[in-house]
Amino acid sequence: MLFAGIIWKNKIMAESKLNKLYDWLDERTGIKEITREALDEPIRGGARWAYVFGSILLFLFAIQVVTGIFLTMYYVPSADHAHASVSYIQKAVPGGALLRGLHHYGATAMVILAVAHLAQTFLFGAYKKKRELLWAAGVIMLLIIFAFSFTGYLLPWDQAAYFGTKVGASIAGEIPVVGPVQQRIMLGGNDLTTVTLSRFFTTHVFLLPLGLAALVGLHLYLFRRATPAGPFHNRDDKKIERFYPKQVFKDSVAILICFVALVAAAKYWPAELGPVADPTSDYLARPPWYFMPLFQLLKYSPGKWAIIPTVVLPAVLFGALFLLPFFDRREERHPLRRPLATALLILILGGSIGLIFLARHQDRTNPEFAEKLKQQEEDMHAYFAKPFEPQIVGGAAAALAASGKAQEPPPAYSENCAACHGDNGEGSPIAVGLIGVSSKPQRSKEDLLKILDDAKPYGLKKPMPESFPKIPPEDKQKIVEWMMTLKAQ
Amino acid sequence: MSVEFDEGVAPVPERRSFLGLISGLIVAGISAVLGVTIGRFSIGPAFTASSGQDWTELGPLDEFAEGKLVKKNVIVSQDAGWGKFQSQRSVWVVRKGDDVKVFSGVCPHLGCSVNTRADKFICACHGSEWNDNGDTLAGPTPRGLDTLEFRVEDNKLKVKYQDFKQAITEKQVLS
Ligand code: FES
Repeated sequence: MLFAGIIWKNKIMAESKLNKLYDWLDERTGIKEITREALDEPIRGGARWAYVFGSILLFLFAIQVVTGIFLTMYYVPSADHAHASVSYIQKAVPGGALLRGLHHYGATAMVILAVAHLAQTFLFGAYKKKRELLWAAGVIMLLIIFAFSFTGYLLPWDQAAYFGTKVGASIAGEIPVVGPVQQRIMLGGNDLTTVTLSRFFTTHVFLLPLGLAALVGLHLYLFRRATPAGPFHNRDDKKIERFYPKQVFKDSVAILICFVALVAAAKYWPAELGPVADPTSDYLARPPWYFMPLFQLLKYSPGKWAIIPTVVLPAVLFGALFLLPFFDRREERHPLRRPLATALLILILGGSIGLIFLARHQDRTNPEFAEKLKQQEEDMHAYFAKPFEPQIVGGAAAALAASGKAQEPPPAYSENCAACHGDNGEGSPIAVGLIGVSSKPQRSKEDLLKILDDAKPYGLKKPMPESFPKIPPEDKQKIVEWMMTLKAQ
Repeated sequence: MSVEFDEGVAPVPERRSFLGLISGLIVAGISAVLGVTIGRFSIGPAFTASSGQDWTELGPLDEFAEGKLVKKNVIVSQDAGWGKFQSQRSVWVVRKGDDVKVFSGVCPHLGCSVNTRADKFICACHGSEWNDNGDTLAGPTPRGLDTLEFRVEDNKLKVKYQDFKQAITEKQVLS
């Protein structure tokens, strides 16, 4: 009894101390007002599981930001090293597979939930009066999420990333009038290069997050200002509950389910990574599933009609979505009393899902594609199963290491050439490197001998000092033979 | 803030609530999983990186001419994250019968490259000189040339490259 009394007393004392601290903090920060504002928002019709989508999306955005920030700790946005660095993250860094998996599946989840959130808002007529801007901000956010997917898809620089983006870029180039210019700006040139990767990276990790964060802020502000729309019927209009604790609880449980699903996916179906991009291969590009509907429609649109599914349709769809609340001004919110809107939603969602399955089905049944895709899948798994191998980096030494045993240059080279071209042909500020020269066109052994005697006919700008012609012929032979072994990586 | 209905209708609930506690635990749990993962992710590799050098082969021992100062390049390699970063360093080999010495090509004075003139080692930067035993003959160098660990396997000379601190009289490995 006494014991319990002491515990009780301690508890009260601890609590009063905490309260004091809270008051102290409140005087300086206004935290009480803030929590009240955040937690005591009234919800007409009471807390519901149906309202969890927005909170999950906010949570997913946070996950993407946090995992994304840490992934850049090892990721290198350069065509030479991107793939190696992603492979390192996936295969070697402790927690790397989980972090990358969370980011990968988090992205997918964001697309799914954003569509669900929009579809629900549409179905419940919650975009109507007073909530037009709230809705419009949401539509733009969906677009940004797609832009995230598109830019993020390239970053691992594997086969799927490279060829998928290549197709995407070509589609962007098909837009009449502005297409070619826009494509150039997007790629940072006329081809998919390391510059493209850099600007995709910048867009993905700086520009889009800033844009999305700003819109999330606006969306939340507008939402609080308009208050939740509540159920579309007015059966329990009388019932009003606060955001805390019931809705907070429902949101938390939904978030937990989502998080557990992401972790499980990352663990049991690790985020894929195929072999490094090889522009010379005949890789069969397939878009990620959420771009599949457009991909499938593309098949039905020969020649100049291609812009219908790739440009016109998405533009019309998003334009219509954006403007929807400004046209649809009726107050009716019940989905069954808005048959046209409801039918339209079912048509678009059902159609998209149907097209995804159709695309999959065609790939499976077309013997040519099925074979190739299966092969690609196997290559991917084979690569994925291999343990991580660090990329060898470092100019001349690397080249020598790659060509097997380091070949010593002949003594005549060390005496006559090394001063300018480097001890192992790596080059110096005053003379070009010789590594990889032999693999260029017009650089056979005979060519090299001729160039060294007289570089002018080959159109080389800075001629060497007239030292080479004085070297005895058999030494020239040796030097050139050695040069032929200097292979670039 | 404008609302369509009377806020007063719903009483503000107690802050202390079972559902609130569960919600807090969920948030804490997720944060913990993420926190631990991120901790391992960011700190783990810092302890596995190594720049310890392997043994590099310099060639068959009997190919080093008796008493000559022979320059060889070794590839040093650093494991750092996703890459093995390789670069070259020079070493000098002097073989006198069975007695072999491998010197680092870095001048102990301030780190210029050591070269040879006749049968002496020289550093052109500030005029240090050493004999073929690595002993100082002249110049500002604080110590003799730095010798490197080597071993002979199947008549192949192998060396373990290391860098040493400059400008001090003691030979001290840089790590
Ligand atoms: S650095 Fe070699 S003598 Fe000064």
